[in-house]
Amino acid sequence: MSEVVLAVEHLSVGYRTARGTLQALRDVSLEVRSGEIVGLVGESGCGKSTLISSVIRLLAPNTEISAGAVRFRGVDLLTLSEERMRALRGAELAMVFQDPMTSLNPVLSIGRQMADIQFRLPGGTREKRARSLDMLQRVGIADASQRLGHYPHQLSGGMRQRAAIAMALMMKPALLIADEPTTALDATLEVQIIEQLKALQAEIGNAILFISHHLGVIAELCDRVVVMYAGEVVESGPVRQVFDAPRHPYTRMLLACDPASIDERARTLPIIPGILPDLVDLPGGCVFCERCDRAESICITQRPRLEGGADGRAAACHFAGAPR
Amino acid sequence: MTTVLEVNDLQVRYPHAHPVAARLAGNRYPWIDVVRGVSLQIARGETLAVVGESGSGKTTLAQALMGLVPSAGGEVRIEGSAVPRDRRNRLMPDRRRVAMMFQDPIGSLSPRMTVREALAEPFQIHRPGRIDANAEAKRLLALVGLGAEFAERYPHQLSGGQARRIGVARALALEPALLIADEPTAGLDVSIQGDVLNLLTGLQQRLGLSILVITHNLNIVRHVADSMAIMYLGRFVEQGASGELFRNPRHPYTRALFSANPSHDPRKVAERMRLTGEVPSLMRRPAGCEFHTRCPLVADDCRVIVPVQTEQAPGHRYACLHPLATSAPRLP
Repeated sequence: MSEVVLAVEHLSVGYRTARGTLQALRDVSLEVRSGEIVGLVGESGCGKSTLISSVIRLLAPNTEISAGAVRFRGVDLLTLSEERMRALRGAELAMVFQDPMTSLNPVLSIGRQMADIQFRLPGGTREKRARSLDMLQRVGIADASQRLGHYPHQLSGGMRQRAAIAMALMMKPALLIADEPTTALDATLEVQIIEQLKALQAEIGNAILFISHHLGVIAELCDRVVVMYAGEVVESGPVRQVFDAPRHPYTRMLLACDPASIDERARTLPIIPGILPDLVDLPGGCVFCERCDRAESICITQRPRLEGGADGRAAACHFAGAPR
Repeated sequence: MTTVLEVNDLQVRYPHAHPVAARLAGNRYPWIDVVRGVSLQIARGETLAVVGESGSGKTTLAQALMGLVPSAGGEVRIEGSAVPRDRRNRLMPDRRRVAMMFQDPIGSLSPRMTVREALAEPFQIHRPGRIDANAEAKRLLALVGLGAEFAERYPHQLSGGQARRIGVARALALEPALLIADEPTAGLDVSIQGDVLNLLTGLQQRLGLSILVITHNLNIVRHVADSMAIMYLGRFVEQGASGELFRNPRHPYTRALFSANPSHDPRKVAERMRLTGEVPSLMRRPAGCEFHTRCPLVADDCRVIVPVQTEQAPGHRYACLHPLATSAPRLP
């Protein structure tokens, strides 16, 4: 069995606001193993960003971690000193952000930025340059040696994101967190980058946590998927099985809303009626019950637990065992 | 069927910021052609989708139709009458016939105006004193399915979906014949994007509105558009009825766009046509067929000969020297 690189265990995170504590994450658990790509799906406000920020420990000052642990190769990151945390970031834990224009330094050349990342590696300027060159070529950048001298604004959007991926993988991190890395790209480029990422991961063998709201991209790239809603994990499991036969009504309704899943021209497109619950004043029962099409009285009074089965799937629904 | 919008060979060019530098860099003209010879027609009550990637000129096309940028050539007719080429300095009566929904729904509303003020403004500009603007604002809110309590809210108090409904209401205030919707679902969650599209198609049926929708989301095009046009470097490389184009794309770029659309259902992933490289710069347009630098099926003559528009069937046109084979004829 491959090593568990990241294990988030019963994590609860809140933000102190004037109205009270906004419970952004509640009892969230997930695992990413080496050599595996786990997709994290959810719509705005589901807690994806809070989860990532908790893993890399870049949290706002009004954040309150009330319970749980974030284990990276067995070590709880939440109890680590800031010094040790800094040593991990960029080296063993790397990130690719949604917008490469804001995550790259605009006043330093790509080559300079790539050399800076390697400050802990042995070797002189020439070796560092050679390693940067090799990495840029591996993410499919043409004329890589020329590109090393360019600044971010001289690169196209697709090329910038490739450079960001090259930088993130430079130190061969055990875990790569990719936060919507293809959302800002065009369709034909998105596919190119996804295929490249998959090939690189097969080569390096690291673990990837891939955040996206694009169900098609998750299906194509990931081995397992975790679906979040309003700060909770509502379903998880192997991506094919979850998308073929979802057990949580939210997953089912979300898949049905994807216009790509409807072949015949539909004049009226399906939606999920209703809005997210107020995370400061949460309902007592299931978080999805107000928008659910099969809610019963138990859903209003009792919060369903995320029940896992032997098949590696789990769903937080009272009726998960008997999907309609 | 009445034609609401007719565009023939429309050209839009932007001047170079540094004309001398551009000339020294080998450019023949001190301008950049952004829209290059676009022709289209939209009939009453119909929807045309313009599909293309960033930088293909979709938004510039929309702005030229709105009169927000001057055109450099060609002709635009709205309900039969030609519109002047440079309309920027005139308060044009055309503005009432063509309305636009902008890409950023919150950014396109003034942060200092309430929803009521924003909805009343078109009436105050175009029909001052003749109409009770506040009553009209209330009517428009009801039209897009929002309660009267929204009238006193400011843009920052609206969700993305609600702001888009206000955008629709504002665009429809003066009862235009044509609505231009620039990326109407960009940035919306999947669970509510259907809501905005359902609202648009519902209003279209009730009001007989024509819609030009600009998008890069092919999944929605299939459901909302009667016809579609595929744009690449400022030209339409293929256009026709949407069902026909999805079934039977002739241009390799159309096919590549369709196949670059990951689906959560593996049975729907068509054999993928992979493109290499990136979109060329508008300042250095490739010779011959402008798609040849990325086309997987490129032949020698593509690098030299500019393909002309070929009519495959009435309304279905493409510009390719070596088009894809048509699929097997459908059963009657």
